[in-house]
Amino acid sequence: MDRRRFLLLSALGIAGLTFVPGIFRPSFASSKLEEDIQKRLGVSLSQIKESADVKLQAPTIAESGANVPVSVESDIPVEKVDSLWIFVDNNPSPWIADVKFTPMNGKVYFATRIKMGQTSNVRAILKLKDGSFLMAAKEVKVTVGGCG
Amino acid sequence: MAIGAGILRVPKEAKKGEIVKVQMVITHPMEPGTRKDPQTGQLIPAYHLTKLELFFNDKLVSVIDMGGGVSANPFIGITLKVEESGTVKISYEDNKGGKWEKTAEISVV
Repeated sequence: MDRRRFLLLSALGIAGLTFVPGIFRPSFASSKLEEDIQKRLGVSLSQIKESADVKLQAPTIAESGANVPVSVESDIPVEKVDSLWIFVDNNPSPWIADVKFTPMNGKVYFATRIKMGQTSNVRAILKLKDGSFLMAAKEVKVTVGGCG
Repeated sequence: MAIGAGILRVPKEAKKGEIVKVQMVITHPMEPGTRKDPQTGQLIPAYHLTKLELFFNDKLVSVIDMGGGVSANPFIGITLKVEESGTVKISYEDNKGGKWEKTAEISVV
């Protein structure tokens, strides 16, 4: 896609969002992220509550976007947890990874290193066995992007 | 190291019921398929791991699905509750059909 078409499309997209009440939110939520969450989790982002039970660790400032260490931990017993997703709001493809837990894990813990194209929120979303979702988000400032 | 080579690190010994960390690093370029070659302007085709499974004594512990958003030469850390001595196995594959396995032993003391 060339720059001109991209700008036109994004302008249209933003205009479209502002005219549909209820969908537009002034926060960092981007439509690509919402699409990805809807597709992979089957619920919309607005239905997911932030919770202090999900502990997301990520640097406040990352020197290189190519290698951002992220870890997720929770005190919720692993028996009650189904899976975990990691998203980065402003990446070309926001979905990073998902993990399925079993009681054999002993606890909820996952660590990895991710790529970030620019400063963005990182989200960790836990799905519990009862079907509810819990989320933690943290903004990571990126000085040099790692997606291009 | 060759693509797909992995390092799997677990403690050699654990107490019964202990929760141990299983850490791994896998050599892989993790091309997301969205980058352009700066010289030619062509898209670099996607080439990344898609799936990693963690087994303990051949029982499935965790499945990790990933895309090109995970850094090159991915590092993954996860926990495992050890109730008996046995073999930790990771098996992982990429989007071009590559498949690898790596094992490590834990003994309960």
